[in-house]
Amino acid sequence: MSAVSDKVVATSKPYLGPAAESFISRQCKAHLKVELANLSSAHLKDLAKWVELGAGLIMDPAKAVELAKKISAG
Amino acid sequence: MKGTIRNKLVAGFSGVLVIMTVVAAIGGYAVFSLRHSAFDATRVGARLNSLSLEIQIHNLEAVRKIKSYLTQTGKPGEEKARQMNLEEAKFEINEIHSLAAKAIAVAPTKETRAKFATIVAAVTQYEQALGKAVETSAANPVSEGSKTALAVYEDAAENLRESAEDGEVVGHDASQASLEAIERTSSRSVALVVGISFLGLALGIVVSYQLSRAILIPVDHLREVAESVSLGNLDIAVRRYSEDEIGDLADSFSRMVTAVKFFRMEAELTQSEAASEVSNERSL
Repeated sequence: MSAVSDKVVATSKPYLGPAAESFISRQCKAHLKVELANLSSAHLKDLAKWVELGAGLIMDPAKAVELAKKISAG
Repeated sequence: MKGTIRNKLVAGFSGVLVIMTVVAAIGGYAVFSLRHSAFDATRVGARLNSLSLEIQIHNLEAVRKIKSYLTQTGKPGEEKARQMNLEEAKFEINEIHSLAAKAIAVAPTKETRAKFATIVAAVTQYEQALGKAVETSAANPVSEGSKTALAVYEDAAENLRESAEDGEVVGHDASQASLEAIERTSSRSVALVVGISFLGLALGIVVSYQLSRAILIPVDHLREVAESVSLGNLDIAVRRYSEDEIGDLADSFSRMVTAVKFFRMEAELTQSEAASEVSNERSL
């Protein structure tokens, strides 16, 4: 995995726990059409947008916004 | 300082401890002050009583000496004994003066001091009457003037006796007033200690109630969430009530519920994708 993907997964861990890697991987494949391992800084803005939408379905929306902001900030 | 449960418990119990210490200190002060005023008041009352009794004894002794002195008047061979009686009577009078002055110094109130000042006046009068009686009896013991001086002396002696008795009553009254003062201080102290104890108890109850609420409410919420999740309902919000260990537990629980939700959604999606593939294959 790239340093960016590692960082995104690590950022998501406190919010998604063991599902963090699968969740981020799914968002990358389904919406950005990239593998998690190939994630780069250029993808972060878009990824954050999809994370906010997707995470909002399974957790408190306020927390989803918080996670999206952290991902977007890199 | 972080508001952990440990810190909350330490703060709560320290607060209760401080309250109990304040209650104990006030109680201790009240008992000390009661003891002090009781001791003080009893000492003054007893001292006045004792001074009054001493004055009476010296007065009786002075009267006895003067009686002897007067009966010895004109008796040959008894001049020396007579003079001795007179000197001893004067000594007793001086003692009465000194004791009355001490009583005035010890007396706690203006009224009490006035009573002992009366004794001083009475003993001065007695002294003067005695001087006159001695003088006239020495000149002519059977003269009219001598008889009058003797009568004045006897009146002064009676007056002094009555004043000394009054002094004793004053001493007794002072003791009684002391007892009343002790009773008043005691009642005040009891009321104060009981009041402060109730205040401490009320504060202790408030602190315990707040402490139990701070712990029980978030724990109860987590219990409800756990029960709901165990029954398969994952659409439940996990709230973080406090920035302590229970808050951290709520966060962990929330993360766990989110992960379970995601894995369940993913499983459902995979299942539906597989079903769709099977259906496509069949249609082909």
